[in-house]
Amino acid sequence: MSRLQAEHLYKVFGKRPDQAVQKLQSGTGRDELRADGTTAAVIDASFTVEPGQIFVVMGLSGSGKSTLLRMLNGLLDPTAGRVLFDDQDLTALSARELRKVRSTRISMVFQHFALFPHRSVLENAAYGLEVQGVPRAERDRRAAEALEMTGLAGWEKSWPDELSGGMQQRVGLARALATDADLLLMDESFSALDPLIRRDMQSQLLELQKRLKKTIVFITHDLNEAMRLGDRIAVMRDGKIVQQGTAEDILVRPADDYVASFIQDVDRSRVLTAGSIMEQPEKGRSDAQLLAEAPATVSAGTPIAELFTPCSTSGVAVAVTDAGGDVIGVVPRSRLLAALGEEPRVETVLPAPRDIEKVTAGA
Amino acid sequence: MPRFTFGEWVESAVDWLQSNLAWIFDAVKAVLGGMYDGVNAVLGGGEPLLLAGIFAVLAFWLRGVVPSALTFVGFALIDSLSLWDEAMATLSLVVVAAVITIAIAVPMGIWAARNNKVSATLRPVLDVMQTMPAFVYLIPGVMFFGVGVTPGVIATIVFAMPPGVRMTELGIRQVDTELVEAAEAFGTTPRDTLTRVQLPLALPTIMAGVNQVIMLALSMVVIGGMAGAGGLGEKVYAAITQLQVGLAAESGIAVVILAMYLDRMTGALNERVSPLGRRAAAKAAAGARRLRFTHYKPGTAVAMAGVVVLALIAGGLNLVGSDDGKNARADGTDIGQGQKINLGYIPWDEGIASTFLWKELLERRGYTTDIKQLDAGPLYSGVARGDIDFQTDSWLPTTHKDYWDKYSDKLDDLGSWYGPTSLELTVPSYVEGVDSLDDLKGQGKKFDGKIIGIEASAGMMGTLNKKVLKEYGLEGEYEVVSSSTSSMLAELNASIKKKEPVVVTLWSPHWAYGKHDLKKLKDPKGAWGEGEQIHTVAHKGFAGKAPAVAGWLKKFELSEEQLTSLENEIQGAGQGKEQDGVRAWLKKKPGLLDELAPLPAGAGGTAQGKDAGKTVDLGYFPWDEAIASTYLWQNVLEDRGYGTTVKQLDPGPLYTGLAQGQLDVQFDSWLPTTHKDYWDRYKDDLTDLGSWYGPTSLELTVPSYVEGVDSLDDLKGQGKKFDGKIIGIESSAGMMGTLNKKVLKEYGLEGEYEVVSSSTSSMLAELNRSIKKKEPVVVTLWSPHWAYGKHDLKKLKDPKGAWGEGEQIHTVAKKDFPQEFPELTGWLKEFELSEAQLASLEVEIQKGGAGEEKRSARRWMDANPDVIDEMAPVGG
Repeated sequence: MSRLQAEHLYKVFGKRPDQAVQKLQSGTGRDELRADGTTAAVIDASFTVEPGQIFVVMGLSGSGKSTLLRMLNGLLDPTAGRVLFDDQDLTALSARELRKVRSTRISMVFQHFALFPHRSVLENAAYGLEVQGVPRAERDRRAAEALEMTGLAGWEKSWPDELSGGMQQRVGLARALATDADLLLMDESFSALDPLIRRDMQSQLLELQKRLKKTIVFITHDLNEAMRLGDRIAVMRDGKIVQQGTAEDILVRPADDYVASFIQDVDRSRVLTAGSIMEQPEKGRSDAQLLAEAPATVSAGTPIAELFTPCSTSGVAVAVTDAGGDVIGVVPRSRLLAALGEEPRVETVLPAPRDIEKVTAGA
Repeated sequence: MPRFTFGEWVESAVDWLQSNLAWIFDAVKAVLGGMYDGVNAVLGGGEPLLLAGIFAVLAFWLRGVVPSALTFVGFALIDSLSLWDEAMATLSLVVVAAVITIAIAVPMGIWAARNNKVSATLRPVLDVMQTMPAFVYLIPGVMFFGVGVTPGVIATIVFAMPPGVRMTELGIRQVDTELVEAAEAFGTTPRDTLTRVQLPLALPTIMAGVNQVIMLALSMVVIGGMAGAGGLGEKVYAAITQLQVGLAAESGIAVVILAMYLDRMTGALNERVSPLGRRAAAKAAAGARRLRFTHYKPGTAVAMAGVVVLALIAGGLNLVGSDDGKNARADGTDIGQGQKINLGYIPWDEGIASTFLWKELLERRGYTTDIKQLDAGPLYSGVARGDIDFQTDSWLPTTHKDYWDKYSDKLDDLGSWYGPTSLELTVPSYVEGVDSLDDLKGQGKKFDGKIIGIEASAGMMGTLNKKVLKEYGLEGEYEVVSSSTSSMLAELNASIKKKEPVVVTLWSPHWAYGKHDLKKLKDPKGAWGEGEQIHTVAHKGFAGKAPAVAGWLKKFELSEEQLTSLENEIQGAGQGKEQDGVRAWLKKKPGLLDELAPLPAGAGGTAQGKDAGKTVDLGYFPWDEAIASTYLWQNVLEDRGYGTTVKQLDPGPLYTGLAQGQLDVQFDSWLPTTHKDYWDRYKDDLTDLGSWYGPTSLELTVPSYVEGVDSLDDLKGQGKKFDGKIIGIESSAGMMGTLNKKVLKEYGLEGEYEVVSSSTSSMLAELNRSIKKKEPVVVTLWSPHWAYGKHDLKKLKDPKGAWGEGEQIHTVAKKDFPQEFPELTGWLKEFELSEAQLASLEVEIQKGGAGEEKRSARRWMDANPDVIDEMAPVGG
């Protein structure tokens, strides 16, 4: 498990990139630079990925997310800034050292799978190990293990063109996992798959992550995917990171209109949790009473989607408990409906805890 | 625009390169020539059908049964067109050029794919290489490297390289960038990315480029042929210039067969070589259910084994040597001793005639020759360089003035052999009222206002346009059509067939005058100028290199009748058969050989027989006295001016050949016993010219140092001394039967002695070994035998006559021999050799070793100088 830090990364294509960085730092806009013939793809990106976390970078085409990802493993050299991986500065390494890091500590999964058509599935999965110089017997064994992990046991001798898209991407994933790299970079890895397969792959990734606890940086343009996968999410626009936070943070407190427009289509019921919309219970009722009357009892992290059924059967509020079983709040039916319909409020400042309004539970 | 003298600049550059960097060019020539010779030795050395088999096995490996069969048929067809050697020469050239090209092109393409600057720089260079007409760099190529294979290879490399480079670059660039990125992302070094990802995936495109290289190389063969590269290209070129459509078609077909074979094979190689190709093939094979066997391709190991087996057979045949009888057509003493003379000719009729005539004459005088057809420019260049020794068709002082002026310091003029030539306008005889150039005026309509000319660059066209037309006031009325010599002749031919009037430029000598009824238009004003002389021009210093030849050439002369009849004979012989035409013509003119290429005074045996010039076909089987007598007679006959061929056969086929008249005579008939069967069968078709040696005898023989054993009686009881063994020869030999059935019985030696059957050579080896160790040994032997000359032996007497009567060795000839060779018949009837003579001759031949029999016999003749006059007396 490793810690990844990106510090003030810039990437500029065109003439005199260093000058361009200075101009950007002093506030010149991207469009001005384009008129000069330089393109600023990434502007002042900084973030930290904790060990074992899935960090999702989200944005539309042209936002710079793919460029950002490629700066993390040096496929593109940053024009300015550094990348620290377990406190080792990747941007300062020689080409040879960088290749060493890439082959042993970082893996990548690509949008269009990038499987070598002239090699079998097993050989593809073993590719990273082959680069490391692992002898044949051992690398075949480890590759086979990785394939089994991704659910492709039995397909070792097949060829990439005999596999469906989803299966091909599993090979890509197996290839990335086989090397036991700590950092996994995933470039829109599920974007080329159809919706059902996509869901499957997301589930699989989450399953694997429970076991393997890799540090993952995941690029996508799909907010639902970001919400589902990401422990933390960064939203990029025009080269800049406009907001970083948990899924809920982004959903409930979008930093600007742009982010707000993104989240319009999100299924809020799967993102918002009971804990974020609950109210204080009526004074004077004991925990035991509340628990006995409540149609259901949930934890704070439960998505509100699971509250619909209990709320529909009874007018009494659902109880929210903490780990110890103490009641920390209630979610009345009305509150549930209100939360669904609430327009996100654009706030650029981290908000203070809200005032809780008392609402009379209605029948 | 002012004149930009780019051409002059190029010329001076070429001159400078030629003078100063000759050593580089010579080095290149040596390397390329060596590679070509190596490949050609392999390809051209084996039996054609065996090599066709090897090609077919390769086709089987790469593509399956049906293509394999077609390959064999195709190559067999090439052999049946008598174009095998040319095809192998062309194939060698293509292989060498293609290998070099690919070795350069693929790395360049890889480099260009990885480096945009290189790619941009290469692009215009490749454009020039691909589009510049090949002749532009062919001529300097001939100047730098001489006529031969090298300029052809260089031109091919230049022309064929661009697709190789381009396709390689394209293939690599087209590899999915995501894959390259993936390789990079997993830490692959750039070089490994190339070998693991880019090259395997680019291989189909690169193979397509390779295929293109080979096809373009083949398409250059004709151009190579113009520079003396030989092979099919030269054949096609020669056929074109001499209007031999049939020959051109045959050579063309051969090129097509080669092209298709190479194309299909390199295409299929992709399947074997690249991983993607192999997968595609596996899929296809899995899918094909019907006719599975047609898709069957053997594994690599099987195919390799097949190729190796065939190659071993081919190599073995080569070593054993199929034809002991070298078709030596050496009339007269071997003056040339195998010296190589390089001939070259321009495809003008008198050039062809005189050059092929000299080829035949030189070969008969023991020289080896090489002959090439070239255009005038490359020919003069070749003579100046020394690649060609001499050429016989130099029209001086006018027509070839430019060439002479350019190269005169490197050339020797060996004098004129024909003249004066003339240039003229000629019409068919049936054209009335036009007999002189004056008569042409006003008759323009009759000829459609056209005078059919030849190449615009020819000297006579200049004279025609600038002088003749003016002198006779024909400008405006007549247009001179420039074309080519072959087109002009074709036009003449066509008009004559339709009995239409036509006026053409022509010259004398020309075979057309022998073929058609034509009349030269008189030139009272002398506008055409003086006639010229046809000179022989040689490389400077040729007289030092081959003084005899230079001497002959200086005196060389032909009359008009001789030249035109020779040209006609060659025309009549047909396409590609000039040599046969010359031979036929020489046959009609006996004695001309000696007139043109006289033997220097003092060379042994100069007296010519009455039938000199005839050719005798000798045959022999490999018994020692047969070999001895045959090669002896070969030398004697050649001294007497006969031609000879010598063939080795087994007795059966030899007698059959005699009976059918395919052979003339053989010298080793053992009669009345040993060859009784053959004589009985064929005697109606044979003539017995009498015995020249006898009696032969069969005996048991011991070394002289063996004491107390002098006759067959003495053997009884001495068995222990000889280990109880009598060393015999092949158990099938007649004498072994006699030994076992009669001799042993008669002298009571059964049980005490075992007759060991082996072979003649083993018996002789055993004899040799025992003599070295001074051990007693008894062997079967016969007289005459050279062993008696080599060792001190004694024949065991045979008082009881168990071995039977001795035989006589007869000379036996075909039925009509006496009528055909009256003089020789007389000699053969009187022919005799004593035992001592025969033995010493056989010893001499033994000493010389295999393949040197003729020379060994010559040595013996030198040691016995009176023998030739005894054997073949010439009167006066």
